Amino acid sequence: MSSDNALPIHIGGLTKKYGDLYALDSVDLDIKSGEFLTLLGPSGSGKTTLLMAIAGFNRPDSGSIRFDNQEMILTPPHRREVGMVFQSYALFPHMSVAENIAFPLKLRKVSAAETNQRVEEALHTVQLDGLGSRNIDQLSGGQRQRVALARAFVFRPRILLMDEPLSALDKKLRERMQIELKQLHRQLGVTTVYVTHDQREALTMSDRIAVINHGRLAQVDTPTSIYNRPANAFVADFIGESTMLPLEHRPDHQLTFGDQFVATVPDDNPDSQWLLVIRPERLLVADDSQGNTAAAITFGGIVKEAVFQGDSAFVLIAIDNADDIAVRFSTGSASAMANLQAGDAIAVGLLKDDIIIIPREAG
Amino acid sequence: MAAAKPGAMQNANALKRQQSREQWSLLSLALPALLVIVLVILIPVGWLFYLSFLGGEGQFSLEHYQKMLKYKSYARTFITTFQVSILTTGICILIGYPLAYFLAQLPNRIAGFFMLTVLLPFWTSLLVRTYAWLVLLQRKGILNDFAIQIGLWDSPIKLVHNMTGTLIGMAHIMLPFLVLPLYNAMKKIDRDLMQAASNLGATPSRAFWQIYFPLSMPGMVAGSLIVFVLCLGFYVTPAVLGGGRVIMVATQITAILENQFDWGAASALGVVLLIATVLVLVVASRVFKLDAALFGKGS
Amino acid sequence: MSLNTRFTRSKLAHAIIGAGVGILVAGTAVADPVTVVSWGGSYGAAQDAALFTDASKNSGIEIIRESGASMSKTCLQVESNSVTWDLVVTGSGGAANAAAKGCLEKIDYGVVDVSDFYPNLYTDYCVGSDVFATVMAWNTEKYGEPGSDGAPQSWADFFDVEKFPGTRAYRANNVDGALEPALMADGVPAEEVYQVLSTREGMERAINKIRELKPHIAVFWGSGAQQAQLMKDAEVDMTTGWNGRFDNAKKDGATVGYTLKQALLDYDCFAMPKGAPNKDVAMKFLAEVSKAEYQANLPFHITYGPTNKKAYEITTAPKELIESLPSHPSNVPMMLPVQLAWYAEHREEALELYMELMSE
Repeated sequence: MSSDNALPIHIGGLTKKYGDLYALDSVDLDIKSGEFLTLLGPSGSGKTTLLMAIAGFNRPDSGSIRFDNQEMILTPPHRREVGMVFQSYALFPHMSVAENIAFPLKLRKVSAAETNQRVEEALHTVQLDGLGSRNIDQLSGGQRQRVALARAFVFRPRILLMDEPLSALDKKLRERMQIELKQLHRQLGVTTVYVTHDQREALTMSDRIAVINHGRLAQVDTPTSIYNRPANAFVADFIGESTMLPLEHRPDHQLTFGDQFVATVPDDNPDSQWLLVIRPERLLVADDSQGNTAAAITFGGIVKEAVFQGDSAFVLIAIDNADDIAVRFSTGSASAMANLQAGDAIAVGLLKDDIIIIPREAG
Repeated sequence: MAAAKPGAMQNANALKRQQSREQWSLLSLALPALLVIVLVILIPVGWLFYLSFLGGEGQFSLEHYQKMLKYKSYARTFITTFQVSILTTGICILIGYPLAYFLAQLPNRIAGFFMLTVLLPFWTSLLVRTYAWLVLLQRKGILNDFAIQIGLWDSPIKLVHNMTGTLIGMAHIMLPFLVLPLYNAMKKIDRDLMQAASNLGATPSRAFWQIYFPLSMPGMVAGSLIVFVLCLGFYVTPAVLGGGRVIMVATQITAILENQFDWGAASALGVVLLIATVLVLVVASRVFKLDAALFGKGS
Repeated sequence: MSLNTRFTRSKLAHAIIGAGVGILVAGTAVADPVTVVSWGGSYGAAQDAALFTDASKNSGIEIIRESGASMSKTCLQVESNSVTWDLVVTGSGGAANAAAKGCLEKIDYGVVDVSDFYPNLYTDYCVGSDVFATVMAWNTEKYGEPGSDGAPQSWADFFDVEKFPGTRAYRANNVDGALEPALMADGVPAEEVYQVLSTREGMERAINKIRELKPHIAVFWGSGAQQAQLMKDAEVDMTTGWNGRFDNAKKDGATVGYTLKQALLDYDCFAMPKGAPNKDVAMKFLAEVSKAEYQANLPFHITYGPTNKKAYEITTAPKELIESLPSHPSNVPMMLPVQLAWYAEHREEALELYMELMSE
């Protein structure tokens, strides 16, 4: 990604309080040039506050926001040169599609001919060729989304912000737009900060995900790392499905579940209580007819519930002395689990690489 | 479509009848309103037209209209009427727009309190308000006394019994009629739009003029038209605060009635005013796309 | 149901009151109250105090008093067949106008006794109630007490803003009593005023005289109450108006004086709308208030003269007050009696010309 198209963003010690509540609690975050970074968190976590601070729409109490080493914290929004797609799209209802897209170009005194050409290009990029003269209220939700997008990048900002841009679309359209946005990002190469509360969307689209909760960053990492190596219980719980089982901490720094060794506490880690995070789809049948014994740790129990869900089957297994474990199996015709019923005895296991342990946080 | 299967038209007529019955009963809901319109508007207006064409002996005659051309006072009165109405509307816009903007930025509860103060004139008798201005503005009135006492000016300034006083009183009375629809329109403007404009590079003033202002126009046009049309027929305030120097159509109608008991002449004035008002509305609806202003943008 | 009950109850109440009055006052028929309509301000209050209250008590005729008397409203009631007024106060000119339009009942002089009235102060359609003058009044602080050296003497002084610098007030939107002063100021002798006014040139001569003064006319007044208010508030320095209003303003503390010299002598009267709901009783009430004994009290409340000569004889008012009344024989010669015939013929045209001046 060339830095002609994109700028890195450095956020340091950014704090914003609403009354006694920290919307942002000393957030440090480096967003690389050309990166697609998603701010992911539940509602009220501070993700939108952070995005709005980058755009300049709210005034933090303290901290620093730099675009490529240039301090922007005091710069008014209209001089920040960042494109933004609003959740509501914020299209100007008294202007046509083309006028909306031309708006930032006119402000920058781009010539009429070039404006027309760039509006056409932008319309083409978002696949709305020929719709420039339409009124906003003649467009469908998906089309409005595209216009908002075109307007946000047509003036070639080097940073693009998106605030839950797909939340108003239905599921099918949303999934298609996710792919398109991803492609567009690749095409434009612009640094993109994307806000969503939908973890699946975050996993699909992002180069990196910043999980945010209570105004703090819980974890910033690639989607695979976030999913496979959650740093804490919040991330493990918020991203993907999981069952968390408490582990026994032995004096020799070994963590066990029942009699089975699970892992060794990482060196110098002061945490005393640990959890085993089990992703449902990572569980294998421990002793099926193929004699699969590769599992590093196994759980035996009784099927409590077995639900067919099309591409997979969801099974809840009751085990002794712990919470029920959720398991997800693929439903290929070869699957041995195709005919499971409640009450059947079953044993499932985890491979060594799929074992995830996290410290249990106080409270 | 393939040929209808047997039974495809089953119950079709009954269903159609049911639909038409429902439509008629829906229409009947509008009946009281239609009746009121006919009784309260159409019949009196028709009667007004009829009277205006009635001569002294009860015959058809254009004499009342001819008289309006014969004496210059009628044309002048109409000019004054439009002048006062336009100026009052202008003053209301100048005062009311910033006020409505200010109110629209406030949290609803605080805005509600301020709105009460704007609406207060609505709940006070028109006459009381008008005489209150007289007490305030006259030669030895509170304002002149105070200003002279603190040395703002030396001798009383003529603030009332003229156009100035009329406009002050009228604007005060008309302001709520402008502010209410304007505030309403401003409240409907999505805050995101201003943020979007700013994000796209618009300075606050450009964002205001290119986004906020055009979007508040429907409210302003609606409010201005209400004020303008109400002003056209105003009587009490110009009569009291104008001091006989601001003669509007309503004043002249009263003079004709009081002195000559001449319904025909008075009706003719009313008819001309009505037609002038309708013309203004028609022109305004062409220029401002009034249906959008009054009923919201239909899609 | 409830409406019905209320209606019946109010009728019943009237009946009971009427019956009671009937028993108390022999010879009075049981009837609805008579609606008597006059003007606001000190005028209506004076009539209440001198005429209506006592006449109602003595005759046993119950009355309802309303304000806002107007001949145009009377005609509107008559023409729309919805007459609710029985007796209406009006200027003499207004009565003549309304009578010409057929809006008034003929007065039954078999019931109303005018044998002691001045001959010019009643007509077929109206009975004089008081005699007033349209005068010029001024702020005495500014121009001195009436009769003192340097005080205004004549209409010429009213129109002379060099000799008497200051602001003026004049009649608004109504030509009654508006043109005569201008002609007198322009040098026309009082006895020739109506003759001159009978031509278009004469009317225009008067209008032009007022036009000259117009820059100094700060206010055009619309009512007697407003004349008094303008002088009380010192809003203008000199105005035209009705003498009684200024005397009452003076009683309220206004520094105002006026002269009857060249004043226009006119009278107010009672008229009855055609089809008045209580015609017979109202006629009796009219007969009662026209008696000298009530008119004799009027000067105590407003300085308008009686129309009934006998009232001068029996009044207990002090000599000084009596001699200040417009209809007092010593005052009449210096005044110009308003000529109703001129108004009947020229009012419409004069008003159009006056409105042209007003609207300039």
